[in-house]
Amino acid sequence: MSTRTTDLPRDFGFGEDHELLRDSARRFLEERCPVGEVRRVAEEAGGFDPALWKEVAELGWTGLVIPEVHGGAGLGALHLALLLEEMGRHLVPVPLLGATLAARAILVAGDAAQQARWLPGLASGELRATLAWLEADGAFEPDELSARAEPDNDGWRLSGTKAFVPGASWAELVVAPFRQADGALALFCIDLSAPGVNVAAEVGVDPTRPTGRIAFEDARVPADARLATSDESACRQVLDWGFTALAAEMVGGAEAALQLTAAYARERIQFGRPIGSFQAVKHPLVDAMIGVESARTLAYAAAAALDHAPAEAEVPARMAKAAAGDAFSFVARKSVQLHGGYGFTWDCDAQLYFKRCLWLRAVLGDAAHHRRHLAGALLGPGE
Amino acid sequence: MSQPIEETEPREIAEFRREVRAWIEANRPGDPGFKLPQSFLEVESDRQFEFLRAWQRKLYEAGYLGLDWPAEYGGHGREGLQRIVSQEMARARTPFMVNTIGLQWAGPTILVYGSDAQKQRMLKPILSAEEIWCQGFSEPGAGSDLASVQTRAERAGDGWTVTGHKVWTTLAQHAKWMILLARTDPDVGKYDGLSYFLFPMDAAGVTVQPLVKMSGEGGFNQVIFDASPMPGDALLGELGQGWQVAMTTLTHERGAADGSGGGSLGASEGVRQVADLATRVRRHGRPAAADPAMRERLADLWIREEALRLASLRARVPGLNPERPLALRLMNKLVFSEFAQDLADVACELEGPAATLWLGDPNAPDRAEWPRAYMNSFGMTIGGGTSEIQRNILGERVLDLPKGK
Ligand SMILES: Cc1cc2nc3c(=O)[nH]c(=O)nc-3n(C[C@H](O)[C@H](O)[C@H](O)COP(=O)(O)OP(=O)(O)OC[C@H]3O[C@@H](n4cnc5c(N)ncnc54)[C@H](O)[C@@H]3O)c2cc1C
Repeated sequence: MSTRTTDLPRDFGFGEDHELLRDSARRFLEERCPVGEVRRVAEEAGGFDPALWKEVAELGWTGLVIPEVHGGAGLGALHLALLLEEMGRHLVPVPLLGATLAARAILVAGDAAQQARWLPGLASGELRATLAWLEADGAFEPDELSARAEPDNDGWRLSGTKAFVPGASWAELVVAPFRQADGALALFCIDLSAPGVNVAAEVGVDPTRPTGRIAFEDARVPADARLATSDESACRQVLDWGFTALAAEMVGGAEAALQLTAAYARERIQFGRPIGSFQAVKHPLVDAMIGVESARTLAYAAAAALDHAPAEAEVPARMAKAAAGDAFSFVARKSVQLHGGYGFTWDCDAQLYFKRCLWLRAVLGDAAHHRRHLAGALLGPGE
Repeated sequence: MSQPIEETEPREIAEFRREVRAWIEANRPGDPGFKLPQSFLEVESDRQFEFLRAWQRKLYEAGYLGLDWPAEYGGHGREGLQRIVSQEMARARTPFMVNTIGLQWAGPTILVYGSDAQKQRMLKPILSAEEIWCQGFSEPGAGSDLASVQTRAERAGDGWTVTGHKVWTTLAQHAKWMILLARTDPDVGKYDGLSYFLFPMDAAGVTVQPLVKMSGEGGFNQVIFDASPMPGDALLGELGQGWQVAMTTLTHERGAADGSGGGSLGASEGVRQVADLATRVRRHGRPAAADPAMRERLADLWIREEALRLASLRARVPGLNPERPLALRLMNKLVFSEFAQDLADVACELEGPAATLWLGDPNAPDRAEWPRAYMNSFGMTIGGGTSEIQRNILGERVLDLPKGK
């Protein structure tokens, strides 16, 4: 991991098309996805809204970062970051995050035939795919993964467990890393109806983001399930996209929780004045804002690095994941606390962001984990 | 490294501790086979309630509850010993006392302000858990600004009628009695117009509506009074003395009065529990206990926990509190609740993504105890006066800083 600060375009590469995307996403989600709707979908439909998925696909979001030749919009990581920020703000109950990362993996590690086979369906939203990367102990770094792939006649035999998979019960296809006998990692694109694959829905803290656990028990998959050009570097690229995407979603969630809380602090009266006038309320909200804005800077920078200097994206991407995790954790706490007794209730929306934060901050490495890696880049190996 | 402080206790205390420890070992309730609440704040179902009530009764009947309370009211008059029982219960991780509001808030207040008749009537059933108590202080418009309560108690013959709306009322659904702060005179200053009552929850015109917590658990309620009658002897203390009486209750609630009831505020074994968790769960392919970042956090929490535990000893030695005699006691609730919150947060971090698995998931570590504890910790940093209010009080009462408006 290089510590050289990437030569980013001074404007992060931000242009009119970014602005258009964000504005249309914001308008659409404000109208279509108010928080009451998110709660309804969580309670009545298990946290997934198929009608909304169709609309999202029609808007072109499912193919946002898939090249035009495969039916996508061919846009970049900054576009995705801006979109996920808006989606994080609204806790949108569709599994776009996992689907997009699965598409990136196929793009990075699939050969032409594999790309042509899967990407158009992903772009149109008709093919339901997600990324199944983490293992049951949270491991996800290339050197930590233990799920195995062994040659089996003219195909592969997969064994191991992937957990915390967003949209697992919805997906028909997952992209997942497995270790081959020679120790090298490879990415596989797996049909979940393959023999030996078992999907179980997890009971999650966050009912607005359904996840699942997938057990591979000598699951047999064909030879071309292995993404042809996959290797550790491909895995790292997918992870950089993952860190950045999660950071962007966290920035959106943290922003929403911050705004919710600031609005309450303006309105709630105690001791004859709005509680926001007390410095004990005002100052933590300002600290929250500083955290969110710093995380936003780093998330945009990570996205710009993916767009303009992908080989150097790891440092900014890890920084963004760590900063956004810390910022969201802080905001989520304050958001409950500063709403008082009401903040402690199911009815108050603070809990929705609090729970989403628990998931987002933990998957693909929490802040402590990324700090350890960054320290390694800065100081050399420790211990 | 061990903990030498405990061993230097006076012999009779150490003996008592051993006796309690053995009794708990032999008598602690087994696994009920259903989810138990993590504290008295989250009691939902009748079976949870009855299970916990039976445990409190058993402890009382064995002579380990009400140790500090006078014998004539059902206690044992053995000053300073309840603390030992609380510590041993925390250590053994037994269930908590379901009547905590009676034991810690109502009982001690009645001991100070009650008439002899009130003490005779109320105290013993608190200890035996025969009569459960709830606290009717907060209202929709009066939380931190408690002195703004609007619930009215008006004279009606020899007694009173109550009309108004209380909220966040823990255990109201199981309670026989409520300590009630109500306005008896709207025409005087906001503090002077308040009185404090022992209100019978089975009175007419009382509606108890459950509220749902962020964790999805219940346990607190709103209580609406529609001209509910209350007898004349429900008044505790003098008419118009309600604020002063309520402050006594809050002092006990916040653990500032060296809780004589039997809860476990300040007596935590949490760090050892999380350290044990760290040896069982894996982070990134190795035991979480081997992760340097987690090690440092846990060590930091251990220091904080020891400072809290030992503070309860130092608070009893006036000579060792030369600068600000009240500080340790007034700090207790703030420091403990924030410690507990950080501990649960770190436990979640330690579990990694597994902390997002909830009750009912077969892979949730320790039956989702830690994400649940993390959420429920906000009950402690908000309930009983928020952390922000605690800091205001400490600034003004202990550090003598000017009062904010
Ligand atoms: C789990 C739980 C159980 C409870 N059980 C009971 C019960 O059994 N009986 C009962 O009577 N009450 C109970 N409460 C209520 C509790 O006492 C109140 O929630 C608390 O006092 C805060 O009041 P509030 O909810 O109105 O919040 P608010 O007073 O509206 O506070 C909102 C925010 O503003 C801040 N704030 C307000 N004023 C100031 C100030 N002057 N300076 C700085 N910051 C300020 C607060 O710290 C908080 O962060 C319970 C609460 C909880 C969470």
